[in-house]
Amino acid sequence: MRRWLLIVSGLLLVILAVIFWQESHRIKPIALVPTLTGQVEYCLTCHSDLAQISNSHPIQTFGCVICHGGERLALTADLAHSTMRGGANPSDYSVVQVSCGGANCHSGTAASYNDHIQRATTSIQETYAGAIASILYTFGAEPDLTARYATSAVQDPGSTTGITSLAAFAPPPTSNPAILAFATNCLNCHISGQPLPGTRTFHFTGCAACHTPTQIEPGTGENLPPADQIHKLTTAISYTQCDTCHNRGNYDLRSMTFQPRQDQPLDRLHDYYQPIAQFTTCEYELDCIDCHTRVEAMGNGNLYGKETDIQYIQCKTCHGTTTDLPQTKTLTDPNDIAFRQAQLNPVVSLKLGDTILVTSKGEPLWNTLLSSDGTYEMIDKVAGVRYTIPLVKGSGCLQDPSRQDSASCHLCHSVTR
Amino acid sequence: MRPTFFHHLHPPTIPARQARFRYTLAAGGLAVFLMLILLVTGILEMFYYIPTPDQAGNSIQTLVFLVPFGALVRNLHYWAAQFLVIVVLIHLLRVIFTGGYARPRRFNYLLGMLLLVIVVFLDFTGYILRWDEGIRWALVAGTNLVKSIPLIGNGLYTLLVGGSQPGGATLIRFYSWHIFGLMLPAGILVAWHLFRVRRDGGIAVPPAALRKDHARISRYELVRREVLAMLLALAGLLLLSVFVPAPLAAPLTATSPLGETARAPWFFLWVQQMLKLGNPFLWGVLVPVAALVLLGLIPYIFPHPSGAELGSWFPKGNRFAQLIAGLLFLAILILTALALLPAS
Repeated sequence: MRRWLLIVSGLLLVILAVIFWQESHRIKPIALVPTLTGQVEYCLTCHSDLAQISNSHPIQTFGCVICHGGERLALTADLAHSTMRGGANPSDYSVVQVSCGGANCHSGTAASYNDHIQRATTSIQETYAGAIASILYTFGAEPDLTARYATSAVQDPGSTTGITSLAAFAPPPTSNPAILAFATNCLNCHISGQPLPGTRTFHFTGCAACHTPTQIEPGTGENLPPADQIHKLTTAISYTQCDTCHNRGNYDLRSMTFQPRQDQPLDRLHDYYQPIAQFTTCEYELDCIDCHTRVEAMGNGNLYGKETDIQYIQCKTCHGTTTDLPQTKTLTDPNDIAFRQAQLNPVVSLKLGDTILVTSKGEPLWNTLLSSDGTYEMIDKVAGVRYTIPLVKGSGCLQDPSRQDSASCHLCHSVTR
Repeated sequence: MRPTFFHHLHPPTIPARQARFRYTLAAGGLAVFLMLILLVTGILEMFYYIPTPDQAGNSIQTLVFLVPFGALVRNLHYWAAQFLVIVVLIHLLRVIFTGGYARPRRFNYLLGMLLLVIVVFLDFTGYILRWDEGIRWALVAGTNLVKSIPLIGNGLYTLLVGGSQPGGATLIRFYSWHIFGLMLPAGILVAWHLFRVRRDGGIAVPPAALRKDHARISRYELVRREVLAMLLALAGLLLLSVFVPAPLAAPLTATSPLGETARAPWFFLWVQQMLKLGNPFLWGVLVPVAALVLLGLIPYIFPHPSGAELGSWFPKGNRFAQLIAGLLFLAILILTALALLPAS
């Protein structure tokens, strides 16, 4: 009996030694107390290698949990991640209000220029209202092109466009097969749609669809898989991000299927894919967001029935016409949104008194400047390259003054490949 | 050698035949040992645990992930609690299968049954204190079972839950039950139970005249055996605690729904399985209580073993009691196994 006692005591000592060894080799938690929450979180214990998501969201201020959710104290992956919002992407529209919203964050008012969630979730890029209406009309399901449906039900009682709500597009099984095929195959590119399989079309959903740059495999130009994507939010959105939806192939209206492009473009001219599009130099040299404004891309809070109701930038916005110079304004208000936009993406340092171009609706093109020598400049929002904007007035342009839309410009100004 | 305090807790000698592990299964002694472990680790946990819905989950996570040896303390508490239920049941079966409850030990048998009920409720209340997603079935379905009791159901539910639905009042009530309402009676009953073991003449043996084997061991040998059993149990508990952590899920939130896969704690799985048969009062309350009452009445309604049969396994004299208890536990085991099968 005494011998057994000794043996078991020895065994117990070994176990205790293992416990002490294990305790001394326990993972050392890395604490962070973000000033916005004041609550300690230990996410950095494992994720210290992640880059800060953006300069507007400093880690010391925001931490991780305020956006991502999760169990801030847990040091095992399963438990820590169990309550994360939207998986790796808290900006998915199913959770965006909790993750990114709030009066001081991105559900603010139009007056504070912070109503991003309201604008983006009602924007045509999310509702897809025009495409749906067009298909329903084409195949006889609706009597006209009026927008009645969106990718999901959306209401905006304050909408000034006459459209205050759109129902969820869910065609009954008895619908025209083409409409059913459209519903199945062609709703992948709105903001909250899951991207099609295949690396070229990969992007996150929600805000991150545009604001988190998809990482591309150097050499092949293929998008990297989700696990290799980076922790970044940016307003310097490269054309490649827009391309994950807008330039990756075409919908075949006969078979109602998406036909991914098969070519391997070697330069930007050939990367511009739309086979029948007419376009000119600035449309493949610049980035899309250099001309297309925040209201065009993210909406203005109203529900629209089709893309052309909200997309309004024309060549003349920057280049003017044969008779008129482009519209400008001199920055006199320190609270002008142009300053805020330039601060978020500091490719240009605007000052009070600077003169910049504005659109026909008064939106500032904050990446433009009227130089002291009278030339107009545009600074590429992604690459930071300066371009001098050629003006129509005073050039040899022979255009009919009554036909100043972009399509008319493209009759002469169009590249051929 | 003068007996120490611990030796004095034992009789000077006890019959050798009934002191063997193969007879006692060490179940009663281990139950006391596990209770001591639970007491010590429970007190340590109380320094960190915050019994409010907002803080409970975070305070457990703090203990587990940040406090030195905190995870070990919690895991020990968890595993000791699970084994306590098992060991207490083994102890009960041993007493029934050896007829050890025979007069004059009938009252102590009842004290033991009461302790079994308290141990199960201690396990249940401790489990609720986790206040994480894993306890949702017990908190929602389990407490709603009380409502099914005619006449007093709704009142009892309010008393238990502290409102019309589980919340902060529920947690503080379960906490109070766990720490005071059940712990204090458990302590008193354990002392009483042990006292009655001595008062009733120690472990059940045949009267001296009928005894074949008169060999006895000393309290020193008994204590050595007990220490060996405790060391082995401690080693097992420590190993389990190091390699198999106690379950912990995300803190319970009011918004998360009751999932289809939500399970009762393992010791109530048999009740959860019976509830699938329908009537919650019948299957969730009446049948379990009837089973308990039947077990409790064994010394009072079924034949006892004869004096000569005492102190050995499966005496002929109480075969009926053995059969009843055996079938009852088999049914519970089968129901538990059925509940564990994946839903098809």
